[in-house]
Parts: sequence; structure tokens; C-alpha cells
Amino acid sequence: MSAKSSAKSRLYETEVLIIGGGVTGAGVMRDLALRGIHCLLIDRCDLNAGASGGNHGLLHSGGRYASSDTRTAAECRHESELIKKLAPECVDDCGGMFVAVEGDDPDFAARFPGFCQAAGIICEALSPQEARAREPALSEKIIAAYAIPDAAIDPFRLVSQNVEHARRLTGSVFLPHMELEAFQIADGRISSALCRDRRSGAAVRIRARQIVNAAGAWAMNIARLARCEDVNLLYSKGTLIVSNTRLGRGVINRLRPPGDGDILVPGGTVSLLGTSSVTVEDPDRIRPGVDEVDRILAEGAAMLPGLEDARFIRAFCGVRPLIRASGAATDGRKAGRGFSLFDHEDQGLENFATIAGGKLTTFRAMAEKTGDLVARRLGNTSMCKTATTPLPSGDAVRMTEPGRAARDWYRRAEPDDLILCECEMVPQSAVDEIVGHAPGAEDHMSLQAIALRSRIGKGACQGAFCAHRVTSYLYDCGIYDSDNGMRLMRDFVAERYRGVRPVLWGRQLPQMELAEIMHCAMAGLDIAPDEAEQ
Amino acid sequence: MKRRQRRIKTKLAVIGAGLSGFSAAIFALKRGIKTTLLGHTGALAYTTGYLDLLGARRGRLLDDPWAGLAALREDEPEHPLARLGNDEIKDAFACFTAALRDMGIGYSMPGALNRMVLLPAGIRKPTLCVPDTMLAGMEAADRRAKTLILDFAGLAGFSAAEFKANFLTTWPAITVQKIQFPGMEHGQVFPEVMARALEVPSLYAELARRISPRLDGARYVGLPAILGMHAPDEVHAAMERLLGLPVFEIPTIPPAVPGIRLRELFERALPETGLELEPQLKVQRADLRPDGITLYLHGPMEDLEVESEAVILASGRFLSGGLKAGHETLSEPLLGLPLYQPGARKDWYRREYLDRRGHRINRAGVKTDTDLRPLGGDGAPVNTRLFAAGSLLAHQDWVRQRCGTGLAIATALRAVKSAQAILS
Amino acid sequence: MMEIAPERAEPVDFLTTARDLLPEGASYEACIACGLCASGCPASGLYGMDPRRFIRMAMLGLNEELAGTPWVWTCTQCKRCAYICPMGIDVSVLVGIARGGWPRDKKPKGIMRSCEAQMRDDSTSAMGLRSADFIEIIAETVDEIREGDKRFKNLTAPIDKAGAEFVVNQNSREPAVEPEELGPLWKIFDYVGVSWSYTSKGWAAENFCMFTGDETSWKEMVKTRVEAINALGAKTWINTECGHSFYTMWKGIERFGLEADFEAGNLISFYAKWIREGRLPVNSDWNRDNLKFTVQDPCQLVRKSIGDPVADDLRFVARKLVGEGNFVDMQPCRSANYCCGGGGGFLQAGMNEQRRAYGKRKFDQIIATKAQYVLTPCHNCHSQMSDIGGYYGGKYHVVHFWTLICLSLGILGPNERKYLGPELACL
Repeated sequence: MSAKSSAKSRLYETEVLIIGGGVTGAGVMRDLALRGIHCLLIDRCDLNAGASGGNHGLLHSGGRYASSDTRTAAECRHESELIKKLAPECVDDCGGMFVAVEGDDPDFAARFPGFCQAAGIICEALSPQEARAREPALSEKIIAAYAIPDAAIDPFRLVSQNVEHARRLTGSVFLPHMELEAFQIADGRISSALCRDRRSGAAVRIRARQIVNAAGAWAMNIARLARCEDVNLLYSKGTLIVSNTRLGRGVINRLRPPGDGDILVPGGTVSLLGTSSVTVEDPDRIRPGVDEVDRILAEGAAMLPGLEDARFIRAFCGVRPLIRASGAATDGRKAGRGFSLFDHEDQGLENFATIAGGKLTTFRAMAEKTGDLVARRLGNTSMCKTATTPLPSGDAVRMTEPGRAARDWYRRAEPDDLILCECEMVPQSAVDEIVGHAPGAEDHMSLQAIALRSRIGKGACQGAFCAHRVTSYLYDCGIYDSDNGMRLMRDFVAERYRGVRPVLWGRQLPQMELAEIMHCAMAGLDIAPDEAEQ
Repeated sequence: MKRRQRRIKTKLAVIGAGLSGFSAAIFALKRGIKTTLLGHTGALAYTTGYLDLLGARRGRLLDDPWAGLAALREDEPEHPLARLGNDEIKDAFACFTAALRDMGIGYSMPGALNRMVLLPAGIRKPTLCVPDTMLAGMEAADRRAKTLILDFAGLAGFSAAEFKANFLTTWPAITVQKIQFPGMEHGQVFPEVMARALEVPSLYAELARRISPRLDGARYVGLPAILGMHAPDEVHAAMERLLGLPVFEIPTIPPAVPGIRLRELFERALPETGLELEPQLKVQRADLRPDGITLYLHGPMEDLEVESEAVILASGRFLSGGLKAGHETLSEPLLGLPLYQPGARKDWYRREYLDRRGHRINRAGVKTDTDLRPLGGDGAPVNTRLFAAGSLLAHQDWVRQRCGTGLAIATALRAVKSAQAILS
Repeated sequence: MMEIAPERAEPVDFLTTARDLLPEGASYEACIACGLCASGCPASGLYGMDPRRFIRMAMLGLNEELAGTPWVWTCTQCKRCAYICPMGIDVSVLVGIARGGWPRDKKPKGIMRSCEAQMRDDSTSAMGLRSADFIEIIAETVDEIREGDKRFKNLTAPIDKAGAEFVVNQNSREPAVEPEELGPLWKIFDYVGVSWSYTSKGWAAENFCMFTGDETSWKEMVKTRVEAINALGAKTWINTECGHSFYTMWKGIERFGLEADFEAGNLISFYAKWIREGRLPVNSDWNRDNLKFTVQDPCQLVRKSIGDPVADDLRFVARKLVGEGNFVDMQPCRSANYCCGGGGGFLQAGMNEQRRAYGKRKFDQIIATKAQYVLTPCHNCHSQMSDIGGYYGGKYHVVHFWTLICLSLGILGPNERKYLGPELACL
């Protein structure tokens, strides 16, 4: 069966509708496609719009959970080993370290190897000198250090590759900007999902035999649209800050029970420092705050004193959807990191499932469990193949890798391939590739969509220059043809600003001043016609 | 080897090579004051070339800047422009544009109303004085005339198609063409490089030859600001002559020509009128005394001491190094002047980028008396010989209010007049 | 033979290495990616690179690419990028690191040969002119001048004269290739009555080792010269009309913490001083045809060293020589001037196509002045501007100041006119 759509009725048909373009949804999509099943993946925004794009990109060795949750720790170890093997392009196998500094509990530090051993995690004790030789930025006040096999992962690339592989396998489709508004339910089955295309405003009906709710922090809301009351989530907001350059070689964890500012993860050419944990009521409209940033930085500086003077270019946050067991604690830090699959059969539905909770590192296992259920319901007897099938890469899905565009551009040395984003050195050809072939490119591409699929807007200028240059280029290509491009540029820089705002001091502040000159004084984004009417 | 030591004695030392610093030098030299200009160019290089007085207030565009000033005096009495009279502001603009014209770049004179000029992406904004090379663009837009807009292969960030698309409803008679700049057919091209190349007559003749066959009945030709660096009016006139049509420039995003044009104009012409210029050297330290002020600078191979009777601080904001932002507070790094602080860091910027009220941090800056002498913590002038001008002054938001030039040159004029009063 | 330092074994981390070389408070972290550096750099576009890209690639940690790009030999380290950068960021430091890291056998042979020649003996001559030969050529040339012009029958060119006011380092080009061009400067010294001397060791002025990025050899070069100058007890050291030899000396003394008991003087400022004092009574009467002259500010002397004060002196001397109305400035000029493309070893690097592309901007600048002559006190500027003039079909001539000074004073010998056009050569 393949999806049919016609411009008039906007009706799509598929075997499985998956709601949520994060790593879970993308993982389920590929899992099912490997079993020969056609899927339609929708997201109200775009890929990685929720926690999958709002995390530190850590491929957990399990060390972080070793002290509190041996099962999750062991699961992380197992899954991270698989991902390193099967999706090496997405992984920076940089290694990691747990360090305790003066003032930290030496007892906890001493027990750490034991915790790791229980979860099967390799843990190597390092002397402070050895630790500093590996990570010169570390404080001189280290009292204990252990090397563990942590790694960094590019969640954008991971999701893109999963979606792209599913497309190649069964012609499965991803539709961005598709908001679910209601389910039509009859005889214990969801017959249709009624959606709206948030850009055109068009109503869209999707018919599917099975429906998977992988909406992350919004999974509870989606479940309730299907009149399911069994999904109960706790929202824990985590904030991170991004440095201008890479500050450490590998992952550096604080060796103590989890707290704010306890980890520095390399993000290719930058580093990410985090993470706070604040319980929030509403997963929408979350933003990183100034206070959180200061707290993260102060804590991080205890491990890495150089952070005090480092330039940070951005803060961002995501919401961890944690499963709230009945009567469980409301502290997100203490809630479990495990996942749950709800078959909703006790809610009277036979073709609806919700996969919730979990972690980036365990996404494959989550997808496997979901895939097993959905395949069984469809009468498909194929086994899960994700534990053995390598995840293929491709040109259009690798542009999120930091430094990749710069390296490619340098190697090709094609002078007419103009660089549009100078901070991250992303050329026109990369934009062309994304516009032509990246997941979601079936639909109309915008500055936002291109930025999500590349490093555009992610460098020091945070969109001051590249927003102009990419917009101009898209006009030249005919992708924009009215003042829509100007509006999208305005929305883009406004979105970038929300992340920049909490780190505006020191060297990032002149950059912001220049951005405001360019966006307001030169482009008139604050006085553009529709802006003035508001 | 000992580092070289050099000492200069001057009447007036101006710190900062931006619009306010250079205009202070112009006004001072005109008054026969021996003037030395020190410091680094910051944001000047990023200007559009338009000279704004007051283009917006509370997020609304202004037709009449003078009426805007009257309103500003009512509800923002501490705004530096609100503390100056219309005559003084008019005088500053008239004197400044005349000086620019004398030095070699023609500008329209300040008028009673703002003029709606063109921005790169196809939006118009109000300004007071317009470079001659950009004047015809307003006329073409007002008349909705058939106009050819050009852009260049290899020039990132300027798209004629974008310009046209944003004028689709108000100025539909635009046609667009992308052409290759002579001798720069491949790779990235910079407006600065094109502008310099166009100072060679054979090159602008060739450019005109490439444009001519594409006119197709157009009555005007618009192109990014590239018509010469040191003699833009000559290059502009030559292009109009060769094409037989009014030609206009449209500003581009940095690195752009109009700002570099102004900086190089000042650096070239002002020393000829007597300015002692120590370009691009930052003042490291200052010694403020009742009888004079000494400034200390480090060149690559020498230390420089400047002994002056009065100093105008025109060192700009964050981009230019005149202000610095720490984790919690803002500071003025050279003299440690107390600043108007816009609250704690979480209050510096609004939640939304394009909030029409503007960001509070933009109101931060040096507080002064009406003679523009910076005030100390006790509310009294820090030193009777020290004055401040330009964007580092508190209680203004030049970007959002479109008052950058007015602020720079009118406060420079006031500072020069105040300084003159105390010079021996 | 001096020891040459081994090259680094593995690629450097540019940002970490540069951190130790930057002045206090300066940081590449301050880069706002605005591109003023790239826009204002004549090397932009060569090998696809420009200063902004160099910095951005360093920020992105693309150390291997930076270590390998041949662009570092087209960047003349003229520091114009640092001059116009609002944040004062200096790309030339990164370029110096990259140059130093190139394998010896891959570095441009022309620069390497010159540096190796300099390291061969204590003449420090890049043209391999040994001290004994130098001394002999000096003596012969002095004799020729004494015989050729009675006014200079007592002219001397002392070597190792203790207590001389000035010690002069001599660019090797004149003694090695065109000894007749030694004469004009000696005549000027004689005319003014200056007490001066060459040194027999470390007499040469040029320093190609600095251009190779080989810091050890750069230091050796300067050290040999400093010791020779210290030994004579001179108050002031100057060199012939040469740009980089001025920079390499004072910067080397500062960078390597050498003890120097003298001041660094420059010839142009002394020309200006002597003219102001009436000791060098030049005039422009000879310029009856009102030929137009422009001046090239050597980056090494102006922007990288003394700044606008020496640019003022250059113009003062030029205007006195050619007549007020016959002097036309290039735009931009002085500290903001463009490098011509002859500096940093580019002229010797064998990259003619790139060097001429770089020089096109200088050529356009010269043509825009409509001048028939370009004056410059720098050998590399001189050669480069002559070369691009010929290549792009310019009709201008490039001359040293000493030639015009002697012409103006009526003491320019008939064999000292090779760089003058026919209309002046016959005066």
C-alpha cells in the first residue's frame, strides 16, 4: 500500500501514521520500514523540534545513571554500543570522563567504579594529572577522575538519516507543519486523523491502519485527543549553553549525583554545557532563562575554570517527557529515565499506541518495542532489523555535522559556490542539496527548514549575516517570490534571539548589537509593513 | 632597544574615529581649534550612508523629524537630542553635509521633512539627508517608474529579485537582471572591491556597456552601492552620462561601501584641513587633571602621550569598544565612568527581539550635564575638561529611533562648543 | 653554519598556539564575522581563501586544512585586516604559524633559498654575497664615484667605524646586482655630512627567514646584526630604503628579547629632518613638465611599524621633491594603504599568477592617480609595482627616493638613472 494524495481533498492513506518528528518517531518509522511497512510521519513543526533538538547530543555510556538506575544505565551501554557500530557518521566517539573536584563527596566518587561495574560499563580510574593531560581545560582542583566510553551524537543527522532510510525502503513520507487536530474514532478504532497544514491552513485527512503517538512532551495531549487517559507525563525543562569554540576533547561529567552544570559535551566545533532541570507545567513556550544560564556556568566553572571567560553564543532548552508513575515524585531529576509503551487497549482502542519517556540513546530500543507491537497488529511477521542493519548516510542528511560544510567546501575549491553562512562556511551547493533532497524537501523549503538541516544560523553571528544571504539566495532561486521571505527571515531571527538573549554579555553582546543594526537599521524588519500594522 | 616615546600637545583630543568623533573634529577645526583624533573605527563601517535625524518614535515612523523632536522633549526629556535645540541640530546637519560635500561626497541638505529612502531588501525608511548617489531611487519609487534593478553574480546578500518581490504591490514596474562585474566574473565579489575598481574610467565604461542592452525601456537604473569609493559622485555622474538615465545606489549589508567611503573620506581629507590623526590606535589610559588631560596610547613600536586641554569621548557602544558588558553590569572601560544601568542582566533585553519598545540595554550609557560633561557618581561633572558625544550617551536608542547620525553629530557639535568655552 | 630548527611533527592547534602570540586582551573569540577584513584584503579569493575564512576555519578547528593551504604564502602578513577590524583581530599571526608548520621541502623555494643563503655565513645576505666580497664591492664603487664626480672626491663608505652616529644595514640587491645604485645614498650622506658606517658582519638588511615562518632563523639573523651594531656603539641604526628589514629588526628585538643599545631610525624620517634643517636643500625646479608622482606606503614601515607619522614624512619629502601640485595620493593610503603584493616573500615565492592577481588592486590604484611615477622606499614594493606595471600595461615608472633627491640636488650620476623614464634620465 502506498500513500495517495490529491491536491483537492488532501487525503493521505498509509499503513501507519506516526505523530512526532523527533528521534522516537523517526526511529519507529525506520523500524517499520525495515519490516516493509509504509509510514507517514507528521510533525506540527519540523524534525527535531522538541527534545530531540533540545538536548546535549550525548550518547550515554550509562555512567550518568549508574548510581541511581542500573537498568537504564545498562540499557544505555548496550544501545550506545549499537549506535556507534551502526550509525558511525552520527557519532563523535570522543570518550568521556567523570571528575570530582574539591568540595564534592569523595565517598560518592570512590563508589563510582562499583556502580559502573554493576551496569557493565567500562570505567578506568585516572590520576588528576592523567585527567588534565587528556583534558587540559580541567580544574587543578580535581580529586577523582574516571574515563568512561561516553560519546557525542548529532541528533539532527540521526533523525534525518532514519527518515531518509524509511523513505528509501518503502517510500514512507515525512510531512512537516502538520498539526493533528482530532481523531475520528469508531468501533474501537481510529479511522482518520484530522490535521491542518499550519502553513497553508488547509485541512488534511490521514487514513491509517495503525497510529503511533511519538509526540514526546506532547504525547499526553495527543493521547487525550484519542480519549486515552493512561498517559501521564511530567515535564522537566533542561537548559544548555553553546560555546563559540570547542572547549574540551571529550565529554566531561561532574562526578556527583546529577545537578545543574554537570556536563560539557563536544558538539563538533563547539561545546554544550548543561544541564538544568526545572519542572514545568506546559511544554509549549519554554525558553532558556538568564538565571539558569548563570547557574549552569557557575557550576561548570568549578570543573572547567576557563568557562568564565569563554564566549557563549546561544542557550537552548528542551523538555524531557518523564513518565509519572502513580504517586511518583514531582522532581524531574529523580524521576526515572525509562520508557513506556502504551497499547491503549484498556482504553478501548485497538489501533493506537503511545511510546513515551526514554532517552535519545535508547531511541532504537523504544522503536523496536513499538515496532513489534504495530507489526503484530498489522499481521506483519518480520523481525526487528535495527539492531543489525547499518543506518545509511547521504549527501542531503549530513549538513548538520559541524565543520562538514567547511571541509567539503574547502576540498572542492569551487570558487563560484558562494558561501552563504560565513561562520559555519555553508555554501550555496549545500542549500541546493537540502532544498532538493533533504527529508521534508517534498514540501516548500524556508530559511527555517534549511537552517534546521544544516549549520546555517548556528555559528557566532546567530543569523545576523546568513539570514540575509540565504534569504537573498532563496529569492534568486525563485523559492521566495513575495514578501513571504522577509516575514520568514523576521521569524527566523526572532527565534534565534530567544536563544541568544540569556548569553548576552562579554563578547557575544557586540555581535548582538551588530545583528540589531543589520536586522533593524538595514533590513527594517522592525518596520516592515505588516510589522507596523500590528 | 627602548620603545620609542612620542609626545603630542594639542588643544582638543577626540577619542573615537566614528561619526561623532570625526564630526567633532570637523566642527572643532572649523572653529580653529587644534585637534587630535585618536581611536578606532567601530560601527561607522556598517552604516547605510543615510544621515538620519529622527525616523521613528515608539515604533512608528516619522514624516516630520522636527515634530518628532518636539514630542521627544515631552516624553523623553533625558534623550540627548531632546536636550538640544532645533537650530543647533539643523546647524550640525548643515555644517556636516557641507563639509562632506567639500571633502568630496555630495549629500542633500537637511529639509523640513524626512525622506523615504530605499533599504537593501526592498523596504523604505525615513531619513533626513541622502547621498547624491542614492537620491534618484526615492524619485523612482515615488513615481513607481519603470526601473531596472541590477545585482551581480558573486555578490552574496543582495538580490534584485528580493528587492522586487518586496515592492511587488507598491512599485510593480521593476525588472531585474543579474550581471557579471567586469574582471570579476568568478567567485565571490565584494562591493568594496567593485567600488574601487570603478574608479578606473575604462572599467565603468565597460560596466555601462554591459548594462545598456538590458535597459528595455527602463527610466531608472538601481544597483547596489558600488559606484566608486573616493569619487562616488564622479563615477555616478559618469554612469548616468553613459547610460543616459538616472542611476541610483541601494545600500547593501556589511561589508558595504557607504561606511568605508565615509571612513576613508575622513581619514584622507581631514588631515589636509589640519587634523592631527592617529588612526586606529586605541587609547589605553587617561590621566584626568584639573589643568589638562593626558592620554596614553600604544602604537606597534612606540608609546604615545597626548597632552590636551580638553577631551571629547566619542568611543561608541559595545561594537566599538566604548562600552563593555560584564556578567552583571555594564561599564565604560577607559575612564570607568558611571553609566545609566538598565537593571540586571535579565532586564537588558526584552523577551521578544522586535519588541517595539526597543531593548533597555540600548538606553544604557554615559550620563552628562547639558554641556555634555560626563557625570560622576556624585552627580557632578567628572572633570571640567571632559565631554562625551555620540552613541555612548545614555537615554537613547539610535537603531530603533533611526537617530544615529543626528545623535552623533548634534552632540558632537554641542561637545565642541562646550569644550571651546574652556579652552585657553 | 647555524643550526636550523626542526619543523613541528604534527599539525598545530591554531587557536591555542596563537593565544600566546597575541597582545594582551586580543582574542579571535571576539570575531563578529563581519567580513571587513576579507573585503579589504587583496589576497581574498586566492585559493578560495580570505582572512575571515582563515579565522572561521581556525574557530571551527580545521587545523589540517589551514596547515596545508598555499594561501598563507599569498597573504603578505601586511596587517591591513587587523587595522580595519573593529575588534583588532590580526590574521597575520595565524598565517605566521601556518607558514612555520610547512615541511621545509614544500615551502616556496625562492623564499627558502634566500633564508638558507642568509644562514650560510655571518654576512646575513639573502643573495649569498659574502662579507669579503661586499667590502670589496664597496671599495670599488667608492673609487668609481670619487673618480667620476670631483664633488665627491672625499666620499667614504666606512665599514666598522666605531663611534659613528649611524650604523647602516644595506639591502643586498645593490651590492650584488646593481652597485651603481649604492652611490645616491652615499652622496646624500656625504652631502649632509653624516657620520655613518656599515658593519662587516651582519651588514645585510633583508630577512627572508621571517617570511618562511622560521622563528629561530629570524632570531639568529637579527641577533647577528644587533651584536655587530652594539659593538660599534652607534646611537642609531637605519637601513637603506627597504620596508621589511625595518620591521624585522625592531620586531625581532622586541619578540626575542634581544639587548640592543641603539634606536631604530628610518631613512625617510631622516630625509625629512635634513630637509627641514636645510641640510638637504631639495627643490622641484627640475620637474619642469609637472610630471605627476604618487607614493607607495610600505606596509612594513607605515602600518606595521611607525604609522602615520612616517607617512607624513614620506609625503613631506615627496612634495618637496616633485612640487606640491605634482603629488597625488593613491586611495586609500597611509596606514590604510594596500599592500602591493610584493611583501611577505610573495615576490620570491614563485606564485606569479596569484601575485599579479593580488597586485591588480594596486595597479588600479596607481592608474586612478594618473601619475607617471611611483615613489617608494621599499625594494619589494619597487619590484612588484614595476612588474605589475609591465604585466597590466601601465606606463608609470617606479623610483627610489634617493634617485630623486640626488636628481634634485644635481648630483645624480649618469649611471644612477636606470629607473628614471627618458624625460628625466636626460636631465
